[in-house]
Amino acid sequence: MKKLMISICIVAIGGLLSACGSSNSSEDSSNFPENQIEVVVPFAAGGASDLVSRTIATEMENELDVPVVVSNKTGGSGTTGMLATKDAKPDGYTIGYVPVELAMVQELGLAEIAPNDYQAIGQLMTIPAAITVSADAPYDTIEEFISYAEENPGEVKVGNSGTGSIWHIAAAAFAQELDLELEYIPYDGAAPAVTALMGGHVDAVSVSPSEVVAGLDSEDLKVLAVMSEERDANVPDVPTLQELGYDINLSGWGGFVAPTDTPDEVMETLQSAFKIAAESEAFTNLLEERGMNPNYKDGAEFQQFAQDQYEYFSELIPSIDLSN
Amino acid sequence: MEVISQILMPSTLLFLLLGSILGLFIGALPGLSATMGVAILTPMTFWLPPEQGLAMLIAIYCTAIFAGGVPAILVNTPGTPASMVTSFDGFALTKQGKSGLALGVNAIYSGLGGVISVIFLMVFSQPIAQFALNFGAAEYFALAIFGLSIMVSVSGKSIRKGMISGFIGLLIATVGLDPITSTQRFTFNQSDLYEGISFIPIMIGLFGLGEVFFQFLLKNDQNNIKENVKERSDRILPNKKERREMRKPFLFSSILSPIIGAIPGAGGDIASIVTWEQSKRFVKGEKKKEYGKGSLAGLAATTTANNGVIGGAFTTMLTLGLPGDAVTAILIGALMMYGLQPGPNLFVEDPDIVYTIIGLLLLANILVIILGLLGSRLFVRIMMVRKEYIWVSVILFSVIGSFALNNSFFDVWIVFISGVVGLIFRKLDYPLGPMILGLLLGPMAESNFRRALLMGGDFSYSIFFTRPISLILIIIAIVSLIIPVLNKMNQRRKRNV
Repeated sequence: MKKLMISICIVAIGGLLSACGSSNSSEDSSNFPENQIEVVVPFAAGGASDLVSRTIATEMENELDVPVVVSNKTGGSGTTGMLATKDAKPDGYTIGYVPVELAMVQELGLAEIAPNDYQAIGQLMTIPAAITVSADAPYDTIEEFISYAEENPGEVKVGNSGTGSIWHIAAAAFAQELDLELEYIPYDGAAPAVTALMGGHVDAVSVSPSEVVAGLDSEDLKVLAVMSEERDANVPDVPTLQELGYDINLSGWGGFVAPTDTPDEVMETLQSAFKIAAESEAFTNLLEERGMNPNYKDGAEFQQFAQDQYEYFSELIPSIDLSN
Repeated sequence: MEVISQILMPSTLLFLLLGSILGLFIGALPGLSATMGVAILTPMTFWLPPEQGLAMLIAIYCTAIFAGGVPAILVNTPGTPASMVTSFDGFALTKQGKSGLALGVNAIYSGLGGVISVIFLMVFSQPIAQFALNFGAAEYFALAIFGLSIMVSVSGKSIRKGMISGFIGLLIATVGLDPITSTQRFTFNQSDLYEGISFIPIMIGLFGLGEVFFQFLLKNDQNNIKENVKERSDRILPNKKERREMRKPFLFSSILSPIIGAIPGAGGDIASIVTWEQSKRFVKGEKKKEYGKGSLAGLAATTTANNGVIGGAFTTMLTLGLPGDAVTAILIGALMMYGLQPGPNLFVEDPDIVYTIIGLLLLANILVIILGLLGSRLFVRIMMVRKEYIWVSVILFSVIGSFALNNSFFDVWIVFISGVVGLIFRKLDYPLGPMILGLLLGPMAESNFRRALLMGGDFSYSIFFTRPISLILIIIAIVSLIIPVLNKMNQRRKRNV
């Protein structure tokens, strides 16, 4: 009896594991797609990247007439999922969501991944960095904030979503451009950093305006400047740093990619379905409700943009002292 | 009035019930957590009107947390991290043949804890939310130390063995990217290790698989529940004497847990640990020694706490727009999809939705009691099958649950390795509780310790002692560390005399 139970157990587990590990195999790319398409999202279910990907997946499903399912492969600060997309069979049945970190992780020493390792399907949106402070802070404009920081070097505490995260790099690039000395306080994500700002534990945060909306509504927080080229829809009255003459443009972004060597006709099918999904009402509504800025780019444009960002971060990151 | 009729509409109640049943399964299966259940179902609820969608999500949340206690009691495998402490007394009761009673207490007190915490949300939401904002890095560190100090009392017979187990937990917690500088520690360039070894697979392995391996190898040992239980009690409801024993720990826990729940990042896991330890002071004499060995008072305190944090977490979410825990972080996203922005203005601009949420929370927790009591007999009956079947299902669900967590085989390996470690620990009589505490609270203690030093400027340690909340928590931690040691020394002296 005991032996029987053990063997049943082993067979059951083995069967399960192999079922989980099996993947689509389809050789003929002219009839693409014939099977289910998997979208690898490198972050957990429920987050912004996940919601964005799920909405696009649903819309692409309508276009392609095959199931398009999201699978969350989390871990490694997003590298686990991005590596899974990179190493997937280039047949179009595994594609992935990539965030701005795609252009950063190599320089941060986390993984050997660069935009070249993928073929871009298209970009979806941008989320700018911004300087947000408490509403009762003694400065009302970014200029006053800058002069306050100049008078108190090393005293101004800026919360971010983790050392090496896009919001940390943004704050550091801001400090570098203006020759300021700031104290960076890393948190485990943007939400705890905003919580710390609301509680008065830090003086500012460098996360995106969409992440501080609750504090803006309750008039506990105010945004002094955004770091994108254009003004942010959440705070249309707040100037960009570029308007004020500082050469800073730092945003988070997200898009879809496929592994390199995916056949051209497959890429075309994916790209056209992606374009329709990115311009769908469901998706634009999602971006509006979550306070993200729509920014569709086609495959070639996104490939170029990601490459430019990669080169930019490869210069910027080594010039920043990440160890505080 | 309109709100009440809306909540009591058959369609809303149907989704509430559906959510509860889903939550029951999600919570009872190790590895599937309340967070995961809510995250996966959130996109599906967008097709529903807000009150129906929220009914389903809230019901999943409330029921899954409670249901995590069911496998903790029956097979010593916590279904969710919040029910880890439930396994201490709950499984001990099962070994005494009182699994029905333990399940009954879990259902009743989880539901009551939830209901009271919602009343807290209704009455004190603003002051509690403002208090929670006072928690900065120093306070979080002190809270973590306070939690860690409980290692001593969950050590069982030998404090030395407990400390070794606890420090192994703390050591494992250092694997991964450094929380402050993001440099790699013990990762060997494996991206699977960047975010550390996930807590849930270790918990499933140590408790679930470890227990199965142990029972399997020691067939005729005292842990062989069915053969050894002399008097099996089928009673589910506690009697008058038992209710009196549980009254004070329950009241204490139901007041403390909403406050812990309101602190962002501190949830049912921490609340159940803290209230379990602190509720001891309301129990006298011999009953105190029962803690961890099948104490109803201890069980009532932890089960109250795991659902008692819900009202607190919602307080932070509704009044400040900040997530009180991982589940409310996802619910904020869900509310935004309905075009609602959580925050103080929600009370002014959309009071109906606030009252709807409160009403649904109350109903969901009442459903916990009803479903829990109805299910208890069924759960006990399931456990009457041959233990081989139970072993196989625990192994199967452990593997499925841990894989589903991140779609990662790495986590499945972690479950098996932790299972072997759990077996060795049981064999050598090392307690597992301290190790889990170290794993859970180590990262919180470390990152906030270093964050506080960054904030204090010039690496000054005074920040921990000049802030009142931090100071008080540290003092309580020191006291709870010293008292068990003094007690032990006293006992030894008496024995020597």
